[in-house]
Amino acid sequence: MPQIITEANLRNLIDLLVKEAKLVVGPKQAGTVVLYEPLATGSELNLDALPRRSSKELFFPVCENILTYRKEGGVTKVSDVDRSRFPETVLIGAPPCDASSPSILDAVFSWDYHDEFYLERRRKSTIIGIACTKGDDACFCTAVGLAPDAQQGSDLFLTPLKGGGFAYTALSEKGESLVAAHAGLFGNVPTAEPVEFAGQDTEKLDLAKIKNWLDRHFEDPLWESISDICIGCGACAFICPACHCFDINDEGSADHGSRRKHWDACGFSKFTNHASGHNPRDIQNKRYRNRIMHKFKYYDDKFGKTLCTGCGRCIRACPVGIDIAEIISTIHGKED
Amino acid sequence: MCQSDNIYLPNLATIEAIVDETPDVRTLRLVFQDEAVRESFSFRAGQFAEYSAFGSGESTFCIASPPTRKGYIECCFRGVGRVTEALRELEVGDTVGVRGPYGNSFPIEKFYGKNLVFIAGGIALPPLRTVIWNCLDLREKFGDITIVYGARSESDLVYKRELAEWQERDDVRLVKCVDPGGNGPDFDGKVGFVPHVLEEAAPSAENTIALVCGPPVMIKFTLPVLERLGFSDDAIYTTLENRMKCGVGKCGRCNVGNVYVCKDGPVFTAREVKAMSQEF
Repeated sequence: MPQIITEANLRNLIDLLVKEAKLVVGPKQAGTVVLYEPLATGSELNLDALPRRSSKELFFPVCENILTYRKEGGVTKVSDVDRSRFPETVLIGAPPCDASSPSILDAVFSWDYHDEFYLERRRKSTIIGIACTKGDDACFCTAVGLAPDAQQGSDLFLTPLKGGGFAYTALSEKGESLVAAHAGLFGNVPTAEPVEFAGQDTEKLDLAKIKNWLDRHFEDPLWESISDICIGCGACAFICPACHCFDINDEGSADHGSRRKHWDACGFSKFTNHASGHNPRDIQNKRYRNRIMHKFKYYDDKFGKTLCTGCGRCIRACPVGIDIAEIISTIHGKED
Repeated sequence: MCQSDNIYLPNLATIEAIVDETPDVRTLRLVFQDEAVRESFSFRAGQFAEYSAFGSGESTFCIASPPTRKGYIECCFRGVGRVTEALRELEVGDTVGVRGPYGNSFPIEKFYGKNLVFIAGGIALPPLRTVIWNCLDLREKFGDITIVYGARSESDLVYKRELAEWQERDDVRLVKCVDPGGNGPDFDGKVGFVPHVLEEAAPSAENTIALVCGPPVMIKFTLPVLERLGFSDDAIYTTLENRMKCGVGKCGRCNVGNVYVCKDGPVFTAREVKAMSQEF
């Protein structure tokens, strides 16, 4: 028998989690846009639109302190950030293009050196993903190996049902214990029919074929033709669920302040600039090539994963209309 | 501090000595403040670190002193940006942060029994100076040692006192040079660009390893010379000096194609460099 939770109980679940002092974050109307924001009550959950920004900032904030320093009486002291105070967090209502992003980013933040800022937040978080029921003309999750009902990355996965409510599947220990701890809100029904996906039919692309072309075409006229209009604003990177480049800077004086890790973008002209003035990626099409290569080749070479979830945000946000879905489709279509 | 699992937390070090190598290049000798760190800190020639001036941020330089000299490390940098200018303002006794050591290193043990040719240009002597002293401190393990070092002008030559020391030694052949026009009336070295001076010096490639560090343009013109002298791509080592922030394979800045210079490098053979996506 299908296991379900009614919409009212899903909102009740949020209320209970908030009462348990958990940070519950989900899509919420914030002014004119929907964003992933802390929910004060279940009634604030808004599942009608894809949030403007991705949910990656829950684990990898736009900007965070990684240490503080203070000089007193000629002695400099450095203090660590107390990561034990990161809150227990539940991300709820993230569609596959967002819910899957940590499962991609875990690799880079945990290989060799462990970034405990990211990893501690991951340990303390539970992700309740939800099947997407309506795409738009920008999204392309099927092209990058995901799907509107892909469960990758979710601890608990909800599937909206015709007639209301959600079928659920617990996919991890975290998901199971969340259900077990609130068992009264979950139930069974004899039959349940999922809401059909009402989006564009997006292509399914062979990512290995794309990578194979990228392996052989570091130099290619394509790079100039697709990116000569790029203005290097970085919007695509900041809004992306998978981009993870960052900068480290000090805020404060020589006497006291903090060191911070904050988002950066490989599209920025100074990103790779050497102190000497020499810049290995001195022109925009080299920088845009790096963006595509990193997502569809380098990250795969290193970690066996594609650094894109097909959310389409970069396409919606690009001020000059660069369309990454069109680019990978073009590459996919190349014979050589 | 070293017990923390925060990979971005630096160890604190005190500036023990400052040497101005040129009008704008400075060496800092650093001693770790924590006794346990002072004793446990170990590194290999070629590795780098992130050095910080608190309030200004971090900057990436190699560890320029040799691992054979214990109790301190040295870095050497040109004051050209916010962090390096702030580091230049610090005085003896002041504190800097040091994260590291990071990256791979020169496989010095593989060089035992071989002749070595060091070729460096300008501010790129420090990454080889750690190897040079490492090898000189174990002198009997190596064959002939030749150092070809050039800079734009006499005043741009770094480690002048050590150049004099190497010149004096009879177990080192030093060929120093400056670009045409960069020599004063009393300059006792050669006048010419490093690749030309190297070709003229013509060290034998027989049983010899070449280690090359310099600006991209110097490397570009030096590699063909080494090839003409008979060096194979596996016998030539260099370091890539890409811009870095994290130093630990996260921040996405230093990659050359799919190679992370901070993790896979900074030391590479010429064969490895030639196999990379050509984006230097």
